[in-house]
Amino acid sequence: MLNLNLPSLASSIVKSGATTMATTTTQQCYVHPVVLFSVLDHYLRRNDNQERVIGTLLGVRSDDGRIVEVRSCFAVPHFETEDQVEVDMEHHRSMFALHKRASAREQIVGWYATGSKLSKYAALIQDFYSREAAPFSAVHLVMDTELTGGQLAIKCLQGSPIGAGAHPENCMFLPLPYELQYPDAELTALQAAADSSEAPEGFAVLISDMEQLEKSIDELKAMLERVTAYVHGVCAGTEKPNNVIGKYLMDMLAVVPKIDSKQFSTLFQTHLQDILMVAYLTNLTRAQLNIADRLQRIV
Amino acid sequence: MSGETKNAKPMTTLLNEETAQLATFDVSRIPKQLLPVLDVEKTVALTKVRVDPLAVLKIVKHARESHPTSVNGQLLGLEINGVLEVTHAFPVPTQLGSEEDMTNYQIEMIQCLREVNVDSSSVGWYQSTRLGDFMGQPLLDVQASYQASPNAASSVVLIHDTTKSEQGGNLSLRAFRLSAAYLDLVKKGEFGTKDLAARGLTFANILEELPVQVEGSSLAKALVAELQWPATGNGAADQLLAQELQRPSSFNAKLRARRLADRSAVADDVADDDVAGVPGLGAEGLLPVRSVGFLGRPVAALGLEQADVSLARQLESMGELIDEHVHDANQWMYWKRGEAKVRNARAQFVERRKDQDEVPEKELDAMFRPLPEPSRLDALLNTANLSLLTKAVTQSRGPAMTKMYMAQALQQDN
Repeated sequence: MLNLNLPSLASSIVKSGATTMATTTTQQCYVHPVVLFSVLDHYLRRNDNQERVIGTLLGVRSDDGRIVEVRSCFAVPHFETEDQVEVDMEHHRSMFALHKRASAREQIVGWYATGSKLSKYAALIQDFYSREAAPFSAVHLVMDTELTGGQLAIKCLQGSPIGAGAHPENCMFLPLPYELQYPDAELTALQAAADSSEAPEGFAVLISDMEQLEKSIDELKAMLERVTAYVHGVCAGTEKPNNVIGKYLMDMLAVVPKIDSKQFSTLFQTHLQDILMVAYLTNLTRAQLNIADRLQRIV
Repeated sequence: MSGETKNAKPMTTLLNEETAQLATFDVSRIPKQLLPVLDVEKTVALTKVRVDPLAVLKIVKHARESHPTSVNGQLLGLEINGVLEVTHAFPVPTQLGSEEDMTNYQIEMIQCLREVNVDSSSVGWYQSTRLGDFMGQPLLDVQASYQASPNAASSVVLIHDTTKSEQGGNLSLRAFRLSAAYLDLVKKGEFGTKDLAARGLTFANILEELPVQVEGSSLAKALVAELQWPATGNGAADQLLAQELQRPSSFNAKLRARRLADRSAVADDVADDDVAGVPGLGAEGLLPVRSVGFLGRPVAALGLEQADVSLARQLESMGELIDEHVHDANQWMYWKRGEAKVRNARAQFVERRKDQDEVPEKELDAMFRPLPEPSRLDALLNTANLSLLTKAVTQSRGPAMTKMYMAQALQQDN
């Protein structure tokens, strides 16, 4: 998966054949984790007779339409049989109107579906969503909820017309490079979810900052031990050296800033004093509040 | 701060009427473990709150996007056997006109969600906060209206602190209910010193905190596992690392930008977000924020300057609250002195008139009437906010010191 960031190359990339529609093709897709969880939740809540669920993806695009950020999604009821497919468009429109009131920036950027294979009506639904997302092309996100091959494969696709005529059924889905974005706040939420899956009881209790830091430090120590063991192995000749890993480690170690030791110790001392002073003052305030509270109750 | 919260009581009453109109269904179709949900009298008290990762992510996303304004939204879920399960959450727009508009919005949203089988009973609401001092009269009013409505007697308010989550690397999500003591006093409408002492209401027990757990479905756990260790074949790990090398990590980019700025003749301030020289990324908000090929534990922001900025704001806020606290105390003392004066005057009057006939109590009361005691509620809320702030600051000092020592350990070998 090459990430081509240079705009001059973008136009020469042959992503789609001759397009009869005036749509700009998407080059890169960023997905927020809330979208993935939302899709799974919808899949778990599907009706008994459904095997697959679909919904709308909302997000923002860059001005030239080449970069899409999928920020949220909502479910759309649909019904498909051997011969026909029905999508509840009323629901889609009303949900979109409601969502627009809460977050004005988000627009329709595509749709999602679950399942390991594309539905045979995917082309038709893609056509519908392309019209909704006009003048840009619609992104199609597929999550393999059946866990084929022991993985939960997530794919981003883009429809491009093939064949002689411009029929909506003639559509080929091409893969779209995507990246998952983890804003800092969501990272903590995902960490809580990850802790819940690792804990033996199946749930994670929210812990204090200090305990969380302790866990981070433990993990950091374990990582350092693994890396040190590997480096020792390479130096001793027992492990096969890997240039990429070596360069990465070198790059990482270069990040440690070099500060003159005297300067650093002064910085350290002053900062430590600040921390202790703040802690002392806040404890003083708390003691004062408690005393005032007790006095009130006596009176 | 939380001036945008609106009263949502009419929504739940309207929803009750709607549910009553639904056709009665066969009770035997409900699985056994869900039968306690029909416990209408709510005899089991709430012990904890279990939140689905989806609801958490939606709350976090909404709070982060509207930072620094505080926003709120609805929680949906079920209460089973004293455990409140929150399965879904949706934001409520802040610019809604009237209360009716907001109620209608919530009803429409719940109806739409019901069509895709999302739990349609509201179990509370959430609010985001900035510095950690979320206690305010509007919050208490909204929560009181939620707890008063019969169908939502088990509602909680979830408070999420965005800045604290981002900097501490620890999800800050707390669940609160109003205590019985506070609700009693609200009903009576009096918040004098004697009333507070009688019910034992202090700044610490206006709100009761409930423990929060995060638990996801098995499929969600599979997804998290997939995110942490993406399926890699042979050499795919190398590819991931090679990509990492090419991609400017935010730290490297800042360092490079700063070095460039140092060398240039006119050293402009390099803004934190200025990832200079990354072409192909368009409008703001589309810059990749820590995009990595896999999910790792959030190492708390080791940038000490960021934490200092929010600490400075917290201390400023603390100073203001302390001023108000002192002001409230002075007001009360002033009233107390006035009351004492009136009492003294009355005693002297009785003393002087001892030789003459007794003046009836009622006349005395009419002649010497002290001012009524000012409500202590505002002072109480102020103290509560102050206590929340100080607790947050104290708790952040421990990790701050630890990180300092970590930085020192790195430097010691140089």
